[in-house]
Amino acid sequence: MAAPAMSTTHASSPASETPILSVRDLVVRYRTSNKGHVDAVRGVSFDLYPNQSLALVGESGCGKTTLGLGLLRLLPRLGSVPSGSIDYTDGQGKHVDVLKLNRQALRRWRWEEGAMVFQGAMNAFNPVLKIGEQMGDTIKAHADGRKPSQQEITDRSSEMLRGVRLEPKRVLDSYPHELSGGMRQRILIAMALLLDPRLLVLDEPTTALDILTQRAIVDVLAELRAERGFAMIFITHDLSLAAELADRVATMYAGRIIETGSVRDIFNDAHHPYTAGLINAVPPVRGELPTLASIPGSPPSLAKLPTGCAFRDRCQYAVDACATTDPPLDLIEERPLGLSHTAACLRWQDVHSSREVVGADV
Amino acid sequence: MAVANPEVSGVRAPATNGVGKALVKVWRNYALRRVLRAIFVIWVVATAVFFLVRLLPGNPVQVYINSQIAQYGVSYEDAAASARSYFSFDPTTPLIVQYLQYLLGLLHGDLGISIATRGVPVIDVIGRYLPWTLFSVGIGMIISIVVGLLLGMVMAYRRGGVIDHGVTAVGSILHAIPNYIMAIMIVVILGAELGIYDVGAARGTITSGVEPSFSLSFFSDVMYHAQMPILTYVLTTAGTWALVMKSSTTQVLEEDYVMVARARGLGDNRIRGAYVGRNAVLPLVAQIATQAGFVVGGAIFVEQTFQYTGIGASLYAALQTRDYTVLQGILLILTASVVFANLIADLIYSVLDPRIRVGEGEA
Repeated sequence: MAAPAMSTTHASSPASETPILSVRDLVVRYRTSNKGHVDAVRGVSFDLYPNQSLALVGESGCGKTTLGLGLLRLLPRLGSVPSGSIDYTDGQGKHVDVLKLNRQALRRWRWEEGAMVFQGAMNAFNPVLKIGEQMGDTIKAHADGRKPSQQEITDRSSEMLRGVRLEPKRVLDSYPHELSGGMRQRILIAMALLLDPRLLVLDEPTTALDILTQRAIVDVLAELRAERGFAMIFITHDLSLAAELADRVATMYAGRIIETGSVRDIFNDAHHPYTAGLINAVPPVRGELPTLASIPGSPPSLAKLPTGCAFRDRCQYAVDACATTDPPLDLIEERPLGLSHTAACLRWQDVHSSREVVGADV
Repeated sequence: MAVANPEVSGVRAPATNGVGKALVKVWRNYALRRVLRAIFVIWVVATAVFFLVRLLPGNPVQVYINSQIAQYGVSYEDAAASARSYFSFDPTTPLIVQYLQYLLGLLHGDLGISIATRGVPVIDVIGRYLPWTLFSVGIGMIISIVVGLLLGMVMAYRRGGVIDHGVTAVGSILHAIPNYIMAIMIVVILGAELGIYDVGAARGTITSGVEPSFSLSFFSDVMYHAQMPILTYVLTTAGTWALVMKSSTTQVLEEDYVMVARARGLGDNRIRGAYVGRNAVLPLVAQIATQAGFVVGGAIFVEQTFQYTGIGASLYAALQTRDYTVLQGILLILTASVVFANLIADLIYSVLDPRIRVGEGEA
């Protein structure tokens, strides 16, 4: 990792064959009060390639945020990773076993290699420190024992703030409460990119913002990615956002990825009934407004999952076999660079969905 | 309440004349607003004290006459005559006249002259004894707050640990003991039973014959006399601070920005200080000021117990003789110091928490 003050923009090179992040059978477990535990992520595997953008979609409580936090080892005290692996490949092609990093190495790895934009921009800032001080704290913490000058800090922070289209002078000298929600969200993004990470996890980056501000955030993100080139995992329940910002989509349900594929494959031809249901619940931009189909029922409790497929109680395609088999991800269409279309459904051949989703250039 | 009016008029219809504008401006300034409020409170207190003191059964002359009769067996007439020649104070002066004289004096910074000890200005009584009280209470509070806040933070970081359980148990017990009871316990246990310190020698604020000077021997003598009052204040309040700080810190530790700071890789010391500590102390600042008032109030009994001649002891003496002017003066100074502590807390608060400053200059 270069010194943070130096801007090392990775040119938008074509995605190489080595994944930047390779996750295998990741399980995230929460201890519960009565000495039991609940697995919020139940064996997730995927590869993310440099400069790629992956959208994690699904209803609330399906494990998206937990997966995101788990990838950067930011789980709360009651959370742990009992099994699975996270393999990160840095810019020099060196492999890093994220789950085995010691405290100090992890402290460095986070933010220098993998950073996160947290949900709820309101509470992500210390209310009693100015934005400039908080950005400075971040730079100083990764200065390798060197003491960066105030000028370096201001220059670097200003550069990032301009990147998210904010006026640095004003923002650096402001307290968090003096800024609007949209500005804070942008500052969080600037803060996350302060050290030029190659991996950025965004948790609901546009939730709770008005539609114009959402638009601005989406534009800023697209621009920054084109400019600096980082791989992105963003967690959202907004399918139109996924369609716009992502190269790939992974649908999560009850702690598992149940369908993956390129944006085009997923939105044109979803093969898991749950993904199809999510897409059908989005109103179309053009044409008559059809009766929007919602998915009946609600997700099962992770504490008492049914046998077989977790979705079967809500599934119109369910057959007897679904009660006994929890289907693995089946290959539907082979594509390079993790873009293969897969679905975890016994009857994926019978499921078809095609709908025009807002902003999807498909 | 003349001070509040400019705000109202300023909001509804901006004052047009110069004075009105100036008042509106003053009211909008956070610090000045606090100061004006403090002055108002002190006036209310001065008035209340004035009348309350006079509601006490008996008056200085009556007390004097009674003591003359009891001590020397003189007749009531003789005692009354002697009282007339002794006191320049006439209890039959209309209350409202006395009150206006008192207020007028206050405006000039004049607290009047002691009734019972003729010729001694009240301000001299206060000037002589108050510093000792402020010294002992101040040192006690500082030690107590530093120890309490540090303990509280350690407890929050190691919830369920030995320190947590130990301090919680001991702190809760100490919290329930009023400081005058604690003072008696110290005299009985440490002084009388165990003989760890000499109850007699520790009386007063300095040993007679020791001259005030900037020397170690003078300082150690002062500390020798003040140590037991200080110990009392520390024992009765430190546990409370620890418990309050623990709960506040525990809450702040759950805040998103602490997790985000960790994710950003900030060092432990930076997070503990500027991220956790500073935010955890915020809600305590107001409590510290309020507590300061209680401690000063409690000092009256604590000082009496240790025979520490601070303001508490002189208040007690003035109460015995119904020395109205001294009572008024001391009570006013005590309340004023609490109001002042609150004022300081408000101002510190605005420095610690930028969100408080929002009101400033707001239309």
